[in-house]
Amino acid sequence: MKNILTITWYSLREALARKVFIAFIIISTLTVGLVTLILNVADIVKVVSSGYQGNYFQAFTTVEMMFISPVTLIGILMSIFSSASFIPVMLEKGNIDLLLSKPISREQLITGKFLGGVLVVLINIAVLIIGVWLAFSFKFSIWNFNFLLIIFTITFTFAILYSVIILFGILTKSSAPGMMIAYLIFLIVSPMLYTFEFKISGLLINSFLKGSIDFLYYFFPKTSEIMGKITMSLALGNGIDNYQPLLTSLGFLILTLGISIAIFRKKEF
Amino acid sequence: MNAIEINSLTKVYSSSFNKKQTMALQNFSLNVTEGTIFGLLGPNGAGKTTLIKLLLGIIFPTNGTAKILNYYIHEYKIKSRVGYLPENHKYPSYLKGKEVLDFYGKLSGMSGSSLKIKIDEMLELVNLSKWGKTKIKNYSKGMMQRLGLAQALLNDPDLIFLDEPTDGVDPIGRKEIRDILLNLKQRKKTIFLNSHLLSEVELLTDRVGILNKGKLIREGTVNELTQKKQEYKLSIEGENAEQIIKDFDNRISFVNSGNGYYNLKVSDSVQLNMVLDVLRNNGIIIKEMVQQKDSLEDIFISLIQESEKKELQ
Repeated sequence: MKNILTITWYSLREALARKVFIAFIIISTLTVGLVTLILNVADIVKVVSSGYQGNYFQAFTTVEMMFISPVTLIGILMSIFSSASFIPVMLEKGNIDLLLSKPISREQLITGKFLGGVLVVLINIAVLIIGVWLAFSFKFSIWNFNFLLIIFTITFTFAILYSVIILFGILTKSSAPGMMIAYLIFLIVSPMLYTFEFKISGLLINSFLKGSIDFLYYFFPKTSEIMGKITMSLALGNGIDNYQPLLTSLGFLILTLGISIAIFRKKEF
Repeated sequence: MNAIEINSLTKVYSSSFNKKQTMALQNFSLNVTEGTIFGLLGPNGAGKTTLIKLLLGIIFPTNGTAKILNYYIHEYKIKSRVGYLPENHKYPSYLKGKEVLDFYGKLSGMSGSSLKIKIDEMLELVNLSKWGKTKIKNYSKGMMQRLGLAQALLNDPDLIFLDEPTDGVDPIGRKEIRDILLNLKQRKKTIFLNSHLLSEVELLTDRVGILNKGKLIREGTVNELTQKKQEYKLSIEGENAEQIIKDFDNRISFVNSGNGYYNLKVSDSVQLNMVLDVLRNNGIIIKEMVQQKDSLEDIFISLIQESEKKELQ
Protein backbone atom coordinates (compact mmCIF):
# COMPACT_ATOMS: atom_id res chain seq x y z
CA MET A 1 0.00 0.00 0.00
CA LYS A 2 2.86 2.37 0.91
CA ASN A 3 4.40 1.78 -2.52
CA ILE A 4 1.10 2.56 -4.27
CA LEU A 5 0.78 5.79 -2.28
CA THR A 6 4.34 6.83 -3.17
CA ILE A 7 3.72 6.25 -6.88
CA THR A 8 0.33 7.99 -6.61
CA TRP A 9 1.83 11.01 -4.87
CA TYR A 10 4.68 11.34 -7.35
CA SER A 11 2.28 10.89 -10.29
CA LEU A 12 0.39 13.83 -8.87
CA ARG A 13 3.65 15.78 -8.74
CA GLU A 14 4.36 14.78 -12.34
CA ALA A 15 0.90 15.98 -13.37
CA LEU A 16 1.35 19.29 -11.63
CA ALA A 17 4.67 19.72 -13.40
CA ARG A 18 2.78 19.60 -16.67
CA LYS A 19 1.37 22.91 -17.76
CA VAL A 20 -1.87 21.41 -19.08
CA PHE A 21 -3.06 20.49 -15.60
CA ILE A 22 -2.10 23.90 -14.31
CA ALA A 23 -4.03 25.39 -17.22
CA PHE A 24 -7.03 23.29 -16.21
CA ILE A 25 -6.84 24.62 -12.65
CA ILE A 26 -6.57 28.18 -14.00
CA ILE A 27 -9.59 27.66 -16.27
CA SER A 28 -11.54 26.21 -13.34
CA THR A 29 -10.63 29.15 -11.13
CA LEU A 30 -11.49 31.65 -13.86
CA THR A 31 -14.82 29.90 -14.38
CA VAL A 32 -15.63 30.18 -10.68
CA GLY A 33 -14.69 33.87 -10.78
CA LEU A 34 -16.77 34.45 -13.91
CA VAL A 35 -19.77 32.67 -12.39
CA THR A 36 -19.56 34.80 -9.26
CA LEU A 37 -19.35 37.95 -11.38
CA ILE A 38 -22.29 37.03 -13.62
CA LEU A 39 -24.45 36.05 -10.67
CA ASN A 40 -23.83 39.42 -9.12
CA VAL A 41 -24.76 41.46 -12.18
CA ALA A 42 -27.74 39.50 -13.55
CA ASP A 43 -30.38 37.24 -12.10
CA ILE A 44 -29.82 34.63 -14.73
CA VAL A 45 -31.72 31.94 -12.81
CA LYS A 46 -34.89 34.01 -12.82
CA VAL A 47 -34.60 34.41 -16.58
CA VAL A 48 -34.07 30.68 -17.13
CA SER A 49 -36.81 29.64 -14.69
CA SER A 50 -39.44 31.15 -16.94
CA GLY A 51 -38.56 28.40 -19.42
CA TYR A 52 -39.07 25.78 -16.72
CA GLN A 53 -42.63 26.79 -15.86
CA GLY A 54 -41.38 28.49 -12.74
CA ASN A 55 -39.50 25.41 -11.45
CA TYR A 56 -36.88 27.52 -9.79
CA PHE A 57 -34.78 24.62 -8.45
CA GLN A 58 -34.54 22.92 -11.84
CA ALA A 59 -33.65 26.21 -13.49
CA PHE A 60 -31.08 26.86 -10.78
CA THR A 61 -29.39 23.49 -11.32
CA THR A 62 -29.59 23.83 -15.11
CA VAL A 63 -27.78 27.15 -14.96
CA GLU A 64 -25.15 25.63 -12.71
CA MET A 65 -24.68 22.83 -15.25
CA MET A 66 -24.56 25.35 -18.08
CA PHE A 67 -21.41 26.77 -16.57
CA ILE A 68 -19.90 23.50 -15.55
CA SER A 69 -20.54 21.23 -18.56
CA PRO A 70 -18.34 22.99 -21.13
CA VAL A 71 -15.51 23.44 -18.64
CA THR A 72 -15.58 19.81 -17.51
CA LEU A 73 -15.68 18.70 -21.14
CA ILE A 74 -12.64 20.83 -21.92
CA GLY A 75 -11.07 19.63 -18.67
CA ILE A 76 -11.52 15.96 -19.60
CA LEU A 77 -10.10 16.58 -23.09
CA MET A 78 -7.12 18.39 -21.58
CA SER A 79 -6.63 15.69 -18.95
CA ILE A 80 -6.60 12.97 -21.62
CA PHE A 81 -4.02 14.95 -23.55
CA SER A 82 -1.82 15.49 -20.54
CA SER A 83 -2.08 12.07 -18.94
CA ALA A 84 -1.41 10.25 -22.22
CA SER A 85 2.33 10.51 -21.68
CA PHE A 86 2.36 9.29 -18.06
CA ILE A 87 2.94 5.65 -18.97
CA PRO A 88 5.27 6.16 -21.96
CA VAL A 89 7.47 8.44 -19.83
CA MET A 90 7.51 5.84 -17.06
CA LEU A 91 8.50 3.16 -19.58
CA GLU A 92 11.46 5.13 -20.93
CA LYS A 93 14.80 3.36 -20.73
CA GLY A 94 16.65 4.40 -17.61
CA ASN A 95 13.45 5.22 -15.77
CA ILE A 96 11.61 1.91 -15.81
CA ASP A 97 14.81 -0.05 -15.06
CA LEU A 98 15.23 1.93 -11.91
CA LEU A 99 11.60 1.58 -10.83
CA LEU A 100 11.64 -2.17 -11.38
CA SER A 101 14.87 -2.49 -9.42
CA LYS A 102 13.00 -1.33 -6.32
CA PRO A 103 10.95 -3.58 -4.03
CA ILE A 104 7.71 -2.71 -5.76
CA SER A 105 5.56 -5.11 -7.74
CA ARG A 106 4.52 -4.33 -11.27
CA GLU A 107 0.85 -4.37 -10.20
CA GLN A 108 1.56 -1.71 -7.58
CA LEU A 109 3.35 0.42 -10.15
CA ILE A 110 0.40 0.48 -12.56
CA THR A 111 -2.16 0.88 -9.78
CA GLY A 112 -0.21 3.84 -8.38
CA LYS A 113 0.03 5.46 -11.81
CA PHE A 114 -3.68 4.95 -12.34
CA LEU A 115 -4.65 6.41 -8.97
CA GLY A 116 -2.26 9.35 -9.42
CA GLY A 117 -3.80 10.30 -12.77
CA VAL A 118 -7.33 9.94 -11.42
CA LEU A 119 -6.48 11.90 -8.28
CA VAL A 120 -5.20 14.89 -10.21
CA VAL A 121 -8.40 15.04 -12.26
CA LEU A 122 -10.48 14.57 -9.12
CA ILE A 123 -8.75 17.58 -7.56
CA ASN A 124 -9.21 19.72 -10.67
CA ILE A 125 -12.86 18.79 -11.09
CA ALA A 126 -13.50 19.26 -7.37
CA VAL A 127 -12.00 22.79 -7.46
CA LEU A 128 -14.29 23.69 -10.35
CA ILE A 129 -17.49 22.13 -9.07
CA ILE A 130 -17.14 23.10 -5.43
CA GLY A 131 -16.25 26.65 -6.53
CA VAL A 132 -19.29 27.00 -8.78
CA TRP A 133 -21.52 25.30 -6.20
CA LEU A 134 -20.38 27.69 -3.47
CA ALA A 135 -20.93 30.72 -5.72
CA PHE A 136 -24.51 29.61 -6.49
CA SER A 137 -25.30 28.44 -2.98
CA PHE A 138 -24.22 31.67 -1.31
CA LYS A 139 -26.00 33.79 -3.89
CA PHE A 140 -29.32 31.95 -3.78
CA SER A 141 -29.13 30.29 -0.36
CA ILE A 142 -29.99 26.96 -1.96
CA TRP A 143 -27.63 24.29 -0.69
CA ASN A 144 -28.01 21.42 -3.12
CA PHE A 145 -25.47 18.92 -1.78
CA ASN A 146 -26.46 16.35 -4.41
CA PHE A 147 -24.80 18.61 -6.93
CA LEU A 148 -21.42 17.71 -5.46
CA LEU A 149 -21.91 14.06 -6.44
CA ILE A 150 -21.18 14.96 -10.04
CA ILE A 151 -17.51 15.35 -9.05
CA PHE A 152 -17.45 11.56 -8.91
CA THR A 153 -19.31 10.85 -12.16
CA ILE A 154 -17.01 13.18 -14.08
CA THR A 155 -13.90 11.77 -12.43
CA PHE A 156 -15.21 8.26 -13.10
CA THR A 157 -15.57 9.14 -16.79
CA PHE A 158 -11.93 10.19 -16.85
CA ALA A 159 -10.89 7.05 -14.94
CA ILE A 160 -12.46 4.85 -17.64
CA LEU A 161 -10.69 6.74 -20.42
CA TYR A 162 -7.43 6.77 -18.47
CA SER A 163 -7.53 2.96 -18.19
CA VAL A 164 -7.59 2.86 -22.01
CA ILE A 165 -4.67 5.31 -22.14
CA ILE A 166 -2.71 3.08 -19.74
CA LEU A 167 -3.39 -0.06 -21.77
CA PHE A 168 -2.25 1.49 -25.05
CA GLY A 169 0.64 3.24 -23.30
CA ILE A 170 1.94 -0.15 -22.15
CA LEU A 171 1.32 -1.80 -25.50
CA THR A 172 2.90 0.87 -27.67
CA LYS A 173 5.18 2.84 -25.26
CA SER A 174 3.79 5.88 -27.03
CA SER A 175 1.24 8.47 -26.00
CA ALA A 176 -0.54 9.07 -29.33
CA PRO A 177 -2.46 5.76 -29.76
CA GLY A 178 -3.93 5.77 -26.24
CA MET A 179 -4.88 9.41 -26.52
CA MET A 180 -6.53 8.91 -29.91
CA ILE A 181 -8.52 5.88 -28.76
CA ALA A 182 -9.65 7.66 -25.61
CA TYR A 183 -10.86 10.61 -27.67
CA LEU A 184 -12.52 8.22 -30.10
CA ILE A 185 -14.43 6.46 -27.30
CA PHE A 186 -15.35 9.68 -25.55
CA LEU A 187 -16.36 11.79 -28.51
CA ILE A 188 -17.57 9.26 -31.11
CA VAL A 189 -18.03 5.64 -30.01
CA SER A 190 -19.94 6.23 -26.79
CA PRO A 191 -22.42 8.86 -28.09
CA MET A 192 -22.87 6.92 -31.32
CA LEU A 193 -23.56 3.59 -29.60
CA TYR A 194 -26.04 5.28 -27.27
CA THR A 195 -27.89 6.70 -30.27
CA PHE A 196 -27.81 3.35 -32.10
CA GLU A 197 -28.96 1.39 -29.03
CA PHE A 198 -31.85 3.64 -28.02
CA LYS A 199 -32.84 5.46 -31.19
CA ILE A 200 -32.01 3.20 -34.15
CA SER A 201 -31.75 -0.39 -32.88
CA GLY A 202 -35.51 -0.70 -32.40
CA LEU A 203 -36.02 0.07 -36.06
CA LEU A 204 -33.68 -2.69 -37.25
CA ILE A 205 -35.00 -5.99 -38.58
CA ASN A 206 -31.69 -7.83 -39.00
CA SER A 207 -31.17 -9.65 -35.69
CA PHE A 208 -27.41 -10.08 -36.23
CA LEU A 209 -26.96 -6.35 -36.68
CA LYS A 210 -29.19 -5.70 -33.69
CA GLY A 211 -27.20 -8.20 -31.60
CA SER A 212 -23.92 -6.64 -32.72
CA ILE A 213 -25.06 -3.19 -31.68
CA ASP A 214 -26.26 -4.56 -28.36
CA PHE A 215 -22.89 -6.23 -27.78
CA LEU A 216 -20.91 -3.12 -28.67
CA TYR A 217 -23.15 -0.93 -26.56
CA TYR A 218 -22.78 -3.10 -23.49
CA PHE A 219 -19.06 -3.73 -24.07
CA PHE A 220 -17.87 -0.16 -24.52
CA PRO A 221 -17.99 2.33 -21.66
CA LYS A 222 -20.96 4.67 -21.62
CA THR A 223 -19.08 7.90 -21.03
CA SER A 224 -21.65 10.08 -22.80
CA GLU A 225 -24.48 8.71 -20.63
CA ILE A 226 -22.45 9.10 -17.44
CA MET A 227 -21.38 12.64 -18.29
CA GLY A 228 -24.85 13.53 -19.58
CA LYS A 229 -27.96 11.84 -18.26
CA ILE A 230 -26.58 10.40 -15.02
CA THR A 231 -24.64 13.54 -14.05
CA MET A 232 -27.67 15.76 -14.67
CA SER A 233 -29.96 13.43 -12.75
CA LEU A 234 -27.59 13.44 -9.76
CA ALA A 235 -27.24 17.22 -9.89
CA LEU A 236 -31.02 17.57 -9.75
CA GLY A 237 -31.17 15.26 -6.76
CA ASN A 238 -33.10 12.60 -8.64
CA GLY A 239 -30.54 9.87 -7.96
CA ILE A 240 -29.66 7.15 -10.45
CA ASP A 241 -32.60 5.24 -11.90
CA ASN A 242 -30.51 2.85 -13.97
CA TYR A 243 -27.12 1.62 -12.75
CA GLN A 244 -26.39 -0.40 -15.90
CA PRO A 245 -24.26 2.30 -17.64
CA LEU A 246 -22.18 2.75 -14.50
CA LEU A 247 -21.75 -0.96 -13.83
CA THR A 248 -20.90 -2.00 -17.39
CA SER A 249 -18.48 0.93 -17.62
CA LEU A 250 -16.89 -0.10 -14.35
CA GLY A 251 -16.58 -3.62 -15.78
CA PHE A 252 -14.82 -2.15 -18.83
CA LEU A 253 -12.46 -0.17 -16.58
CA ILE A 254 -11.59 -3.23 -14.49
CA LEU A 255 -11.10 -5.35 -17.61
CA THR A 256 -8.87 -2.75 -19.30
CA LEU A 257 -6.81 -2.19 -16.19
CA GLY A 258 -6.57 -5.95 -15.58
CA ILE A 259 -5.32 -6.54 -19.13
CA SER A 260 -2.85 -3.66 -18.71
CA ILE A 261 -1.44 -5.21 -15.53
CA ALA A 262 -1.31 -8.71 -17.08
CA ILE A 263 0.65 -7.37 -20.09
CA PHE A 264 2.89 -5.22 -17.93
CA ARG A 265 3.76 -8.19 -15.71
CA LYS A 266 5.17 -10.04 -18.72
CA LYS A 267 6.79 -7.06 -20.39
CA GLU A 268 10.56 -6.75 -20.58
CA PHE A 269 12.45 -3.48 -20.58
CA MET B 1 28.32 -17.33 1.43
CA ASN B 2 27.38 -16.11 -2.03
CA ALA B 3 25.60 -12.83 -2.64
CA ILE B 4 24.89 -13.86 -6.23
CA GLU B 5 24.36 -17.40 -7.49
CA ILE B 6 23.70 -17.82 -11.18
CA ASN B 7 23.00 -21.23 -12.59
CA SER B 8 22.96 -21.80 -16.38
CA LEU B 9 21.14 -18.58 -17.09
CA THR B 10 20.11 -18.17 -20.70
CA LYS B 11 18.37 -15.26 -22.32
CA VAL B 12 17.11 -15.32 -25.88
CA TYR B 13 15.47 -12.25 -27.38
CA SER B 14 12.92 -13.03 -30.04
CA SER B 15 11.77 -10.51 -32.58
CA SER B 16 8.06 -10.70 -33.21
CA PHE B 17 8.50 -9.25 -36.69
CA ASN B 18 10.92 -11.64 -38.40
CA LYS B 19 11.09 -14.44 -35.79
CA LYS B 20 14.80 -13.71 -35.47
CA GLN B 21 16.34 -14.89 -32.23
CA THR B 22 19.28 -13.28 -30.49
CA MET B 23 21.17 -15.16 -27.83
CA ALA B 24 21.99 -12.47 -25.29
CA LEU B 25 23.20 -14.79 -22.57
CA GLN B 26 24.19 -18.41 -22.94
CA ASN B 27 24.31 -20.93 -20.10
CA PHE B 28 25.83 -18.35 -17.82
CA SER B 29 26.89 -19.57 -14.40
CA LEU B 30 28.65 -17.51 -11.76
CA ASN B 31 28.95 -17.12 -8.02
CA VAL B 32 29.89 -13.86 -6.36
CA THR B 33 31.01 -14.08 -2.75
CA GLU B 34 29.55 -11.71 -0.19
CA GLY B 35 31.66 -8.68 0.63
CA THR B 36 33.63 -8.68 -2.60
CA ILE B 37 33.74 -6.48 -5.67
CA PHE B 38 33.11 -8.35 -8.90
CA GLY B 39 33.85 -6.69 -12.22
CA LEU B 40 32.17 -7.80 -15.41
CA LEU B 41 33.96 -6.83 -18.59
CA GLY B 42 32.91 -7.24 -22.15
CA PRO B 43 32.58 -5.38 -25.42
CA ASN B 44 29.35 -3.56 -26.27
CA GLY B 45 26.50 -6.00 -26.73
CA ALA B 46 28.28 -8.76 -24.80
CA GLY B 47 25.31 -9.17 -22.45
CA LYS B 48 26.56 -7.33 -19.36
CA THR B 49 23.49 -5.14 -18.91
CA THR B 50 21.23 -8.06 -19.85
CA LEU B 51 22.70 -10.01 -16.94
CA ILE B 52 22.03 -7.22 -14.44
CA LYS B 53 18.51 -6.75 -15.78
CA LEU B 54 17.85 -10.46 -15.37
CA LEU B 55 19.10 -10.42 -11.80
CA LEU B 56 16.86 -7.47 -10.98
CA GLY B 57 13.73 -8.89 -12.62
CA ILE B 58 13.59 -6.18 -15.30
CA ILE B 59 13.68 -8.91 -17.93
CA PHE B 60 13.01 -12.63 -17.51
CA PRO B 61 15.31 -15.60 -18.18
CA THR B 62 14.57 -18.01 -21.01
CA ASN B 63 16.25 -20.77 -19.00
CA GLY B 64 18.20 -21.25 -15.82
CA THR B 65 17.89 -19.88 -12.31
CA ALA B 66 19.54 -17.22 -10.23
CA LYS B 67 19.53 -16.06 -6.64
CA ILE B 68 20.50 -12.77 -5.10
CA LEU B 69 21.14 -12.63 -1.36
CA ASN B 70 19.79 -16.16 -1.20
CA TYR B 71 16.40 -15.33 -2.75
CA TYR B 72 15.24 -16.29 -6.22
CA ILE B 73 15.25 -13.29 -8.53
CA HIS B 74 11.48 -13.21 -9.04
CA GLU B 75 10.96 -12.42 -5.34
CA TYR B 76 10.80 -8.65 -5.67
CA LYS B 77 10.83 -7.85 -1.94
CA ILE B 78 14.50 -8.80 -1.66
CA LYS B 79 15.24 -5.69 -3.71
CA SER B 80 14.93 -3.62 -0.55
CA ARG B 81 18.47 -4.89 0.17
CA VAL B 82 19.71 -4.11 -3.34
CA GLY B 83 20.99 -0.90 -4.91
CA TYR B 84 21.20 -0.26 -8.65
CA LEU B 85 22.73 2.41 -10.80
CA PRO B 86 21.68 1.83 -14.42
CA GLU B 87 23.87 2.89 -17.30
CA ASN B 88 21.54 5.55 -18.69
CA HIS B 89 19.43 6.45 -15.72
CA LYS B 90 16.68 8.97 -16.14
CA TYR B 91 15.04 10.82 -13.30
CA PRO B 92 11.93 13.00 -13.48
CA SER B 93 13.39 16.37 -14.53
CA TYR B 94 10.87 18.38 -12.51
CA LEU B 95 12.25 17.00 -9.26
CA LYS B 96 15.06 18.44 -7.16
CA GLY B 97 18.03 16.34 -6.08
CA LYS B 98 16.60 15.70 -2.62
CA GLU B 99 13.18 14.84 -4.05
CA VAL B 100 14.71 12.25 -6.37
CA LEU B 101 16.31 10.56 -3.38
CA ASP B 102 13.10 10.87 -1.37
CA PHE B 103 11.11 9.17 -4.16
CA TYR B 104 13.48 6.23 -4.60
CA GLY B 105 14.08 5.99 -0.87
CA LYS B 106 10.36 5.62 -0.23
CA LEU B 107 10.13 3.00 -2.97
CA SER B 108 12.93 1.14 -1.21
CA GLY B 109 10.83 1.00 1.93
CA MET B 110 12.39 3.94 3.81
CA SER B 111 10.42 6.72 5.45
CA GLY B 112 10.32 9.51 8.00
CA SER B 113 13.29 11.16 9.65
CA SER B 114 15.62 8.23 8.97
CA LEU B 115 15.09 8.82 5.24
CA LYS B 116 15.72 12.55 5.60
CA ILE B 117 18.94 11.95 7.52
CA LYS B 118 20.07 9.37 4.98
CA ILE B 119 19.35 11.73 2.05
CA ASP B 120 21.58 14.43 3.57
CA GLU B 121 24.24 11.84 4.32
CA MET B 122 24.22 10.54 0.76
CA LEU B 123 24.31 14.00 -0.81
CA GLU B 124 27.29 14.76 1.40
CA LEU B 125 28.96 11.50 0.37
CA VAL B 126 28.73 12.30 -3.35
CA ASN B 127 29.54 15.99 -2.90
CA LEU B 128 26.11 17.27 -3.87
CA SER B 129 25.01 18.82 -0.57
CA LYS B 130 24.78 22.28 -2.10
CA TRP B 131 22.72 20.98 -5.01
CA GLY B 132 20.01 19.11 -3.10
CA LYS B 133 17.46 21.86 -3.58
CA THR B 134 18.24 22.42 -7.26
CA LYS B 135 16.08 20.92 -9.99
CA ILE B 136 17.97 18.11 -11.61
CA LYS B 137 17.38 19.48 -15.10
CA ASN B 138 20.19 21.89 -14.17
CA TYR B 139 22.62 19.08 -13.25
CA SER B 140 25.63 18.19 -15.39
CA LYS B 141 26.22 14.61 -16.57
CA GLY B 142 28.78 14.03 -13.82
CA MET B 143 26.42 15.40 -11.18
CA MET B 144 23.63 13.14 -12.43
CA GLN B 145 25.97 10.20 -12.16
CA ARG B 146 26.86 11.12 -8.59
CA LEU B 147 23.18 11.55 -7.75
CA GLY B 148 22.61 8.13 -9.29
CA LEU B 149 25.22 6.64 -7.02
CA ALA B 150 23.61 8.33 -4.00
CA GLN B 151 20.28 6.83 -5.09
CA ALA B 152 21.84 3.37 -5.39
CA LEU B 153 23.37 3.57 -1.91
CA LEU B 154 20.49 5.30 -0.14
CA ASN B 155 18.88 2.21 1.36
CA ASP B 156 22.23 0.93 2.67
CA PRO B 157 22.03 -2.09 0.36
CA ASP B 158 23.94 -5.31 0.90
CA LEU B 159 24.30 -5.86 -2.83
CA ILE B 160 24.98 -3.04 -5.28
CA PHE B 161 24.81 -3.26 -9.06
CA LEU B 162 26.66 -0.49 -10.84
CA ASP B 163 26.50 -0.18 -14.59
CA GLU B 164 29.27 2.15 -15.77
CA PRO B 165 29.30 4.16 -12.53
CA THR B 166 32.00 6.63 -13.60
CA ASP B 167 30.57 7.35 -17.01
CA GLY B 168 30.80 11.11 -17.61
CA VAL B 169 32.57 11.77 -14.33
CA ASP B 170 35.82 13.78 -14.31
CA PRO B 171 39.07 12.16 -13.01
CA ILE B 172 38.71 13.63 -9.51
CA GLY B 173 35.08 12.49 -9.34
CA ARG B 174 36.17 9.04 -10.54
CA LYS B 175 38.71 8.82 -7.77
CA GLU B 176 36.05 9.85 -5.24
CA ILE B 177 33.68 7.17 -6.54
CA ARG B 178 36.45 4.57 -6.36
CA ASP B 179 37.08 5.55 -2.73
CA ILE B 180 33.37 5.25 -1.94
CA LEU B 181 33.30 1.77 -3.45
CA LEU B 182 36.39 0.66 -1.57
CA ASN B 183 34.85 1.97 1.64
CA LEU B 184 31.70 -0.04 0.90
CA LYS B 185 33.81 -3.11 0.41
CA GLN B 186 35.36 -2.56 3.82
CA ARG B 187 31.83 -2.53 5.19
CA LYS B 188 31.31 -6.00 3.68
CA LYS B 189 29.00 -4.84 0.92
CA THR B 190 28.96 -6.83 -2.31
CA ILE B 191 29.44 -4.81 -5.48
CA PHE B 192 28.76 -6.01 -8.99
CA LEU B 193 30.41 -3.65 -11.42
CA ASN B 194 29.99 -3.35 -15.17
CA SER B 195 32.60 -1.10 -16.65
CA HIS B 196 34.41 -0.33 -19.86
CA LEU B 197 37.22 1.29 -17.92
CA LEU B 198 39.60 -1.61 -17.49
CA SER B 199 42.01 0.38 -15.34
CA GLU B 200 39.14 1.08 -12.96
CA VAL B 201 38.21 -2.58 -12.77
CA GLU B 202 41.83 -3.49 -12.22
CA LEU B 203 42.05 -1.10 -9.28
CA LEU B 204 38.79 -2.03 -7.61
CA THR B 205 37.78 -5.60 -8.12
CA ASP B 206 38.53 -8.83 -6.30
CA ARG B 207 37.37 -10.97 -9.19
CA VAL B 208 36.73 -10.28 -12.82
CA GLY B 209 34.60 -12.00 -15.44
CA ILE B 210 35.02 -11.49 -19.17
CA LEU B 211 31.89 -11.83 -21.20
CA ASN B 212 31.61 -12.03 -24.97
CA LYS B 213 28.48 -12.69 -26.98
CA GLY B 214 26.64 -13.89 -23.91
CA LYS B 215 29.31 -16.36 -22.84
CA LEU B 216 31.57 -16.10 -19.83
CA ILE B 217 34.96 -16.71 -21.40
CA ARG B 218 37.17 -16.21 -18.34
CA GLU B 219 36.77 -15.61 -14.64
CA GLY B 220 39.28 -15.12 -11.88
CA THR B 221 41.17 -12.58 -9.80
CA VAL B 222 42.91 -9.78 -11.67
CA ASN B 223 46.20 -11.41 -10.72
CA GLU B 224 45.18 -14.80 -12.08
CA LEU B 225 44.08 -13.25 -15.33
CA THR B 226 47.05 -11.02 -15.92
CA GLN B 227 49.88 -13.25 -14.69
CA LYS B 228 52.05 -14.54 -17.52
CA LYS B 229 52.80 -18.16 -16.85
CA GLN B 230 56.48 -18.75 -16.13
CA GLU B 231 57.77 -15.46 -17.53
CA TYR B 232 60.13 -13.45 -15.37
CA LYS B 233 62.21 -10.33 -15.53
CA LEU B 234 65.62 -10.75 -13.87
CA SER B 235 68.30 -8.28 -12.93
CA ILE B 236 71.62 -10.12 -12.59
CA GLU B 237 75.24 -9.26 -12.09
CA GLY B 238 78.33 -11.33 -12.75
CA GLU B 239 81.45 -11.38 -14.87
CA ASN B 240 80.57 -14.26 -17.15
CA ALA B 241 76.81 -13.90 -17.07
CA GLU B 242 76.44 -13.63 -20.85
CA GLN B 243 78.38 -16.82 -21.44
CA ILE B 244 76.40 -18.79 -18.88
CA ILE B 245 73.14 -17.64 -20.39
CA LYS B 246 74.26 -18.72 -23.85
CA ASP B 247 74.96 -22.19 -22.49
CA PHE B 248 71.32 -22.83 -21.52
CA ASP B 249 69.55 -25.16 -23.93
CA ASN B 250 66.88 -24.13 -26.45
CA ARG B 251 63.96 -24.92 -24.16
CA ILE B 252 64.86 -21.91 -22.07
CA SER B 253 64.48 -18.41 -23.46
CA PHE B 254 66.86 -16.02 -21.72
CA VAL B 255 67.14 -12.69 -23.52
CA ASN B 256 69.07 -9.59 -22.55
CA SER B 257 66.66 -6.69 -22.50
CA GLY B 258 69.34 -4.13 -21.62
CA ASN B 259 70.51 -2.32 -18.47
CA GLY B 260 71.32 -5.59 -16.74
CA TYR B 261 67.81 -6.95 -17.16
CA TYR B 262 66.93 -10.26 -18.78
CA ASN B 263 63.64 -11.83 -19.82
CA LEU B 264 63.41 -15.45 -18.80
CA LYS B 265 60.82 -17.86 -20.11
CA VAL B 266 60.73 -21.40 -18.71
CA SER B 267 58.33 -24.29 -19.04
CA ASP B 268 57.71 -24.90 -15.33
CA SER B 269 58.96 -24.11 -11.85
CA VAL B 270 61.40 -27.08 -11.84
CA GLN B 271 63.14 -25.56 -14.83
CA LEU B 272 63.05 -22.13 -13.17
CA ASN B 273 64.80 -23.49 -10.09
CA MET B 274 67.35 -25.27 -12.25
CA VAL B 275 68.18 -21.96 -14.00
CA LEU B 276 68.49 -20.13 -10.69
CA ASP B 277 70.77 -22.87 -9.33
CA VAL B 278 73.05 -22.68 -12.36
CA LEU B 279 73.28 -18.91 -12.05
CA ARG B 280 74.09 -19.02 -8.34
CA ASN B 281 76.58 -21.87 -8.70
CA ASN B 282 78.46 -19.75 -11.21
CA GLY B 283 78.68 -16.78 -8.88
CA ILE B 284 75.99 -14.72 -10.59
CA ILE B 285 74.15 -12.42 -8.22
CA ILE B 286 70.39 -12.24 -8.68
CA LYS B 287 69.47 -8.67 -7.70
CA GLU B 288 65.81 -8.74 -8.64
CA MET B 289 63.26 -11.16 -10.04
CA VAL B 290 59.69 -10.21 -10.98
CA GLN B 291 57.04 -12.40 -12.52
CA GLN B 292 55.82 -10.79 -15.71
CA LYS B 293 52.22 -9.60 -16.05
CA ASP B 294 50.00 -8.53 -18.89
CA SER B 295 47.77 -5.55 -18.38
CA LEU B 296 44.09 -6.34 -18.00
CA GLU B 297 43.56 -4.56 -21.29
CA ASP B 298 46.00 -6.90 -23.10
CA ILE B 299 44.28 -9.94 -21.62
CA PHE B 300 40.84 -8.58 -22.39
CA ILE B 301 41.69 -7.91 -26.04
CA SER B 302 43.44 -11.22 -26.56
CA LEU B 303 40.61 -13.19 -24.94
CA ILE B 304 37.97 -11.44 -26.99
CA GLN B 305 39.95 -12.00 -30.20
CA GLU B 306 40.50 -15.63 -29.29
CA SER B 307 36.79 -16.05 -28.61
CA GLU B 308 35.91 -14.39 -31.93
CA LYS B 309 38.27 -16.74 -33.77
CA LYS B 310 36.72 -19.79 -32.10
CA GLU B 311 33.31 -18.50 -33.07
CA LEU B 312 34.37 -18.29 -36.75
CA GLN B 313 35.80 -21.82 -36.76
